Amino acid sequence: MKKRNPFTIYRAVISTLVLRELNIRFSSGTLGYFWAFFEPFLQILTLIVIKVAIFGRSDDDVDFAVYLALGFISFNMFRHIVSSSANAFKGNRGLFIYRQVRPIDTIVSKVFVELFISSIILVIFTAIGIYFGFDLNVKNTGMVFLAYIWLVIFSFSFALCVAIISFYFINFKKIVSLLIRVMFFTSAIFYTLHSLPAELREYLLYNPMTHFMEMIHGYYFYTLDDRYVSYNYMAIWTVALLYSGLWLYRMLEKRIISNDRTP
Amino acid sequence: MIELHNVTKYFKSNRGRKYIMRNVNLTIPSGVNVGILGRNGAGKSTMMRMLGQIEFPNKGKIISSNSFSWPLALSTSFVPGMTGRANVKFVCKLYGKNDAEVKSIIEYVKEFSELNNYFDMPISSYSSGMRSRLSFGLSLSFDFDYLLIDETLSTGDTRFKGKATKALQEKIEKCNVLLVGHQMKILQDICHAGIVLNDGNAYYFDNINDAVNVYEDINKSKEN
Repeated sequence: MKKRNPFTIYRAVISTLVLRELNIRFSSGTLGYFWAFFEPFLQILTLIVIKVAIFGRSDDDVDFAVYLALGFISFNMFRHIVSSSANAFKGNRGLFIYRQVRPIDTIVSKVFVELFISSIILVIFTAIGIYFGFDLNVKNTGMVFLAYIWLVIFSFSFALCVAIISFYFINFKKIVSLLIRVMFFTSAIFYTLHSLPAELREYLLYNPMTHFMEMIHGYYFYTLDDRYVSYNYMAIWTVALLYSGLWLYRMLEKRIISNDRTP
Repeated sequence: MIELHNVTKYFKSNRGRKYIMRNVNLTIPSGVNVGILGRNGAGKSTMMRMLGQIEFPNKGKIISSNSFSWPLALSTSFVPGMTGRANVKFVCKLYGKNDAEVKSIIEYVKEFSELNNYFDMPISSYSSGMRSRLSFGLSLSFDFDYLLIDETLSTGDTRFKGKATKALQEKIEKCNVLLVGHQMKILQDICHAGIVLNDGNAYYFDNINDAVNVYEDINKSKEN
């Protein structure tokens, strides 16, 4: 058989896994494509309606529909990457008989899939926003983009750790889903951090996702800023998770491939 | 050529380590088809998986510059939700085949596996025989140096078994095969050499008939 260089092999594996993931996701029922995008859209819309109905259209001079959509799209991406990774090694075990497929590739491809889907949702929302005349001007597109990419790296690191721990502790995914739920309510997605009392704010800032959300919001809206964001704190979380995830993975890769759970 | 250098492989169990191989040194020369024999649990499938590099020795090294197929076992792994065609395409893409190659492989596998309409239905609706037909056809359409086949030939009806054996005989003119099996006839038809696994040791025989004899002796002595 013709020898291929490692990069060609890696690219073939990732692109194949991405296509397979999209194939599975979109082939569920006849309206697969429709649901993949319409479901998150419906979720966000519901929340916007509830929020606007209860709290009025805006506080802090921020258009709340846009604020919510932005936070929701970002957090959903994080949530999908992390929650699916709990089953990444066990659920894809069959793929590891092809030796070019390494367990970590299933997580990398998942990240690409979620990135792709959230970009499509972003485009759809932008189109809707323009149609209904929302103010979609961005204060600093570059920094919003940077925050988003940083969030992707953070999500990947988080997911890798979750995947490795879930490989040994099957019930860990229950803890993860609880953790994600707590993070969701404490991440300043449907309220601004600025509108909270200072003592409460202090607690919420222990959640790294709050910093990511504040960074995205701060650079998106002219009326908000990143005064509560600690870039050091975000960096420490990202580096710590990424380093420990990769270190554990390096040690355990062979065991994961051969499904060896002995200590 | 495949070289095993001081290969030790064990599994941990409640009663300590269960050794599959204990310091095994072995050389399988190029151009030889090898049958692997051993009682249940002797480590035949583990050896296949080690050669396919999806299981790893606890100590020692396996060295080879050849390419190996994925181990074809009874429980083949396809994505259940995807059709047979989509699964074939998936594996082709994993091995970096271009569109023309993918197309010809799909044609070949469709014809060989005799799945007809099932080829475009999800794998979850397949019987185990249909799955192994698909997987066998698929592995035949790649050009590996070594095919790793674990019992797959013993599935399907008699007619298909005959067809599969014939296809394999044609295939091994171009590549080599490492075959695990309990049917001595098929092993003797296809393989030149044999390896007998027993109690953590691996014995290599240039002639498959010698291997079969030794294996049958071991069987007799264990029964008594």
